Amino acid sequence: MNGAEGNTPVLEVKNVKKSFGKVEALKEVSFEVHKGDVLGLLGDNGAGKSTLIKIIAGNHRADDGEIFLEGKKVEFSSPAESRAAGIETVYQNSPVCENASVSANFFIGRELCGRFPLFRLLKEGAMQKQTRKVMTDMVINVPSVKTKVGLLSGGQRQAIVLGRFFHWGGKLALLDEPFAALGVAESKNGLRFIKELGSRGLPIVLITHNIEYALQVANKFVILRHGLVAGKGLIAEVTADDLVSMITGAINVNQ
Amino acid sequence: MNRLEAKDVLRWVLDHIVWFILFIVLAVFSLTVKGFAQWDIYRNIFYHAVFVGILAVAEALCIISKEMDLSVESVLGLAAVVTAYLTGTSTDASGLMLNGYLVLGIVVIIGVVIGLFNGFLIINMRISSFIVTLAGYLIFRAVGLILTHGYGVVKLRPELLAVARTNVGPIPVMILIMVGIYAFFFIFLTRTRFGKYIYLVGDNRTASYNAGIRVDRVLLGVFVLSGVLAAFAGWLIAARTNGSSPGIGTGMLFEAMAAVVIGGVSMQGGIGNLTGVFAGAVLLSALSTAVSILGIPPFFMNIFRGGFIIVAVVLDAVISRLRPRLM
Repeated sequence: MNGAEGNTPVLEVKNVKKSFGKVEALKEVSFEVHKGDVLGLLGDNGAGKSTLIKIIAGNHRADDGEIFLEGKKVEFSSPAESRAAGIETVYQNSPVCENASVSANFFIGRELCGRFPLFRLLKEGAMQKQTRKVMTDMVINVPSVKTKVGLLSGGQRQAIVLGRFFHWGGKLALLDEPFAALGVAESKNGLRFIKELGSRGLPIVLITHNIEYALQVANKFVILRHGLVAGKGLIAEVTADDLVSMITGAINVNQ
Repeated sequence: MNRLEAKDVLRWVLDHIVWFILFIVLAVFSLTVKGFAQWDIYRNIFYHAVFVGILAVAEALCIISKEMDLSVESVLGLAAVVTAYLTGTSTDASGLMLNGYLVLGIVVIIGVVIGLFNGFLIINMRISSFIVTLAGYLIFRAVGLILTHGYGVVKLRPELLAVARTNVGPIPVMILIMVGIYAFFFIFLTRTRFGKYIYLVGDNRTASYNAGIRVDRVLLGVFVLSGVLAAFAGWLIAARTNGSSPGIGTGMLFEAMAAVVIGGVSMQGGIGNLTGVFAGAVLLSALSTAVSILGIPPFFMNIFRGGFIIVAVVLDAVISRLRPRLM
């Protein structure tokens, strides 16, 4: 699954620093995400995970350092800009239109419709058919594509948001503690879905403090501790204990 | 399989509950109120519903997009006064006696301008639509009063009277116009992209914005449509009353709001359809007709209206709780 050597990484974070007043949230962080990677971004509360993700997503600007998307240097000044560039952040409560159907949410902003100006008739049947196909293909379980999204579970909603993003050619998904509000069975489904999307080539950064989740779906990990990278590598080469040690600081690669 | 069908039927009934209430109310009135069950009464109910009905379409568009427009009633009033002023033949009119259809054009432009004005303040100045249109409610009524110095204008040109008096078969043109507006906006809301955006924007603005929908344009469109519909209703009511009085249409805002809410449009935004609103407008009209036939003092009217609003909202809450079980 690993990106071939010499390939430009989808995302490259290089020496990124960020302070809030006197608090150094990120002292210096670098890592790469390649095509096919599911990268577990791990760390304790306050390690800098959220700050880092918010910088990539355009909520914050880095004080120093560079970010490259597909080899091109980017500087997002708003979440809208990063989204336009193909980066989607999925939170535990990603906004969806709850009273609209699955297919309406799937095609939102991309509706298939006629060309007649000011009165563009929707091609509802075609959109439902295509949505049904994609849902089946990605194994997203919904009762019907006509069901209102508000009646679905949190996990189903996230799957729709993520599936939609992937289907329309998204480049990089940032999942920020996506399972925080989900039950065990739902989280399991979510993990399976992340693995599925990863295997189809969507680069994913999974931010979590649950090591089990990272071990199950990620192929790489980056551990943050006190604003520094406390460890990174291939999941296959570490044990849960190793990860815990790096997160808590029992092993410190910076010394 | 059978069980699934029963659920589908139940869900369909719940989605159209206001129609069932309307039919029950009409049936009860027809059976119990002497003189109610005749063609003339039914025609009057629909005729009476035309103006509030059209304002209710305007209000429904706004509320589905999670905004509101309190100025519709005063825009109707202003449009009626302008129509009477420009086409009237009595002494308080302008003396221009313009053609009624030319004035329709002028009135529509006024509606567009008011919609743009409301939209600009709400979208660009980020003032809540409640505040902006509350100010509009006061201002546009006053502009009409200033224009005619607070006097009524009567005796409009014949082409306007024709609109009010022509029938197609047994059905007055006015009623057909209202039904036409409902049909058009029903298709507009459910079958066109812009209509769908009104729902999506009302449902979740962040999700709509993230998906690249130009939320501000959708809202501007909504307020312009609302202004035009209200102005058009004002032109119609001037034709109907063969003139305009200073207080023409007073109280219609709350009737229109009531029709929208009774019709199942939710203040949450993104929920509701025009078939329900139509039934709501007819229901309110049937109610006031029954009250006047029965000789009940008219000040009881608002108790019934208020009662129906509460019934509608309680029903809506119950249905929302039932719905997840009907999947």
